[in-house]
Amino acid sequence: MSEALRNLDQNSVLDDVRRALGRSAGVTPVPPSPLEPFIEPTGQTDLAELNARFTKEATTVRAKVHRVSDKLQCVDKIVEICSEDKGHEIALSEAEIFAELGLASALAAQGFSTFAPGEIDHGTLVARLANCGVGVTAADYAIAETGTIVLNSDEPNALLVSLLPPVHIAVLGAAQIMDSLDGVIGKLSRERINRANATRSVTLITGPSRTSDVELVLSIGVHGPKALHVIILDGRSDKL
Amino acid sequence: MSLPDPDLTQRSHAALENRVLQGALKAATATFIERRREAITSVSDWEALRQRARQVKEHTINNLDYYLERLVEKVQAHGGTVHWARTGDDVSRYIIELARARGVKSVVKSKSMATEEIELNHALEAADVRPVETDLGEYIIQLAQEKPSHIIVPAIHKTRAQISDLFEEKLREGRPNEVAEITAMARKRLRNEFLSAGMGITGANFAIAESGTIVLVENEGNIRLSTQVPKIQVAVVGIEKVIPRFEDLSVFLRLLPRSGTGQKQTAYVSFLNGPRQAAPESGFEFHLVLMDNGRTRILADEQLRESLYCIRCGACLNVCPVYQKIGGQAYGWIYPGPIGAVISPQLQSLKQSGDLPFASSLCGACRTACPVDINLPDLLLALRAKSKESGSGKLSERAAMRTFAFTARRPWLFTLAGRMMRVFARLLTREGKIKSAPMAPLSDWTQYRDLPAPTGRSFRERWKKDRHE
Repeated sequence: MSEALRNLDQNSVLDDVRRALGRSAGVTPVPPSPLEPFIEPTGQTDLAELNARFTKEATTVRAKVHRVSDKLQCVDKIVEICSEDKGHEIALSEAEIFAELGLASALAAQGFSTFAPGEIDHGTLVARLANCGVGVTAADYAIAETGTIVLNSDEPNALLVSLLPPVHIAVLGAAQIMDSLDGVIGKLSRERINRANATRSVTLITGPSRTSDVELVLSIGVHGPKALHVIILDGRSDKL
Repeated sequence: MSLPDPDLTQRSHAALENRVLQGALKAATATFIERRREAITSVSDWEALRQRARQVKEHTINNLDYYLERLVEKVQAHGGTVHWARTGDDVSRYIIELARARGVKSVVKSKSMATEEIELNHALEAADVRPVETDLGEYIIQLAQEKPSHIIVPAIHKTRAQISDLFEEKLREGRPNEVAEITAMARKRLRNEFLSAGMGITGANFAIAESGTIVLVENEGNIRLSTQVPKIQVAVVGIEKVIPRFEDLSVFLRLLPRSGTGQKQTAYVSFLNGPRQAAPESGFEFHLVLMDNGRTRILADEQLRESLYCIRCGACLNVCPVYQKIGGQAYGWIYPGPIGAVISPQLQSLKQSGDLPFASSLCGACRTACPVDINLPDLLLALRAKSKESGSGKLSERAAMRTFAFTARRPWLFTLAGRMMRVFARLLTREGKIKSAPMAPLSDWTQYRDLPAPTGRSFRERWKKDRHE
């Protein structure tokens, strides 16, 4: 078997492609002239309107949206959500805002044990996260059009923390809400994807995990989180 | 890829007689049509968006060699490994060797038409690597050992009660009754599989040439788990999935969820650039398997090339009057509906599934629903012609066509035959219709439909007499 594999010239499929297009095998074509960019006109930029629309769309897909006006309220809100299930650890990603909020000590003061995965072996990490009750991360951006939040792997462990525990809390700066998918795709393209040392992974999250595979009946929380809370922190104009 | 035993007609009859299936199909297709209709109204100019998508696909497919090269360079630059596979067997062999080399005993899979197409699960099982489907619908199908009946909702033909029975029998953890209980049972089972699997296998919705990004669209979170939990990730991707730029996604990520499930956005969209950590000593691996498996054959035909624009949303299935009645399994392979009738005969062979393009009323609803405006009716017609040219038609049909050709070239014979046919037809006419013809191929027609009785005079007789009036 391995003999057959090694014998398959790695470029033979590409040569088949070239021949199918009427070109000669082994020749790299000149770069085709790219299509003109196609960007939908941006609508709203008014923060209050974006906030209202994001909240409406996210609520429609069963996310719970909370708006807080300062850091203290933000911590209180996180503690309140975590109090719904006291038996498990709370996982925190390594977002800078959590240090600023003093989140770990605030949760500890309320009797929660927190888990902030640092340099830890992957197998141990996923097993421990799977047993956590809540995962708390920051969010990079949000999309008002669809009620979507954007997470990326530049915030260490954010993606696993947002995925394995049954409850996910994401903290979002109010100024990070953008009008449409186009704006976020453009930003991601410039800031995360098409750069040296690209971000390894980015995830768009729109509501909690769901399926309609049985008789088209909506069921929430099949593999990912069963609940998604988005906490919008007012007065923050920077990325969290 | 064995030839399905009963033919299309027999499979269709079985589907039509299955009352459970008929109920499920009616509910599912009506729901999806309604959800899609509603979802596309939230886009300001849907038509402009789909024409743009078509333009991007056309441009990419016509320059596929260029974009594939860019994709490969970028994936390798991220630290990923690229393997070209000419056939499905090449894909399976590569994955099995990789699994063996890394000591992988079980793999978690997320729904992928590409791996269904090549029956990867059979190959893995034969090599003692246990594949676990993790999409709920696919998991149900795998437990039941069946084939999917819809691209988006694979187990749509099964009722909740049937799934409850299946889980009770196969999982032996009691009987889940409510949908929420079924979901919870699957979650618990599959969580353990994710945590213990050595490899995650996915497909891809898009592969971005300029950045080497693999894009995966889903609702359940099983794709996120498959790509983030096991250290080795394999994406099996048809060569037609490449698009040029990351920014092109603003078009496709608007079209796909709205067309597929009627959502403005699915719960999760993942963008992956190579392995989770770049350092080889981290133990994370990313393998991109670029699969041909018949696609370059389609590419070589300038008219049929358009079949490669498909983004696998399933919208054409829901609106198709044939799919609505016979469902996915009657199509005999994994790609159902109008797009299945177009790509199955090309990926398999005309001999194997050349009858599918005939299972269409050519009403054009599929083209209207298609988010990349694939001209499905024209493709179906082209494949019908190819199928007949390849001599796959029935003997009686071919004999009839030859007789017609012979007759039509001789005006005296044509007139005589016309007269005889009218006499013959009058004998069979009851209440203005021919309800049953005595022999094939006419009897094939009257088995399902009435044939209107011909008028008493031929066109040429009427032309001679009436044109001066």
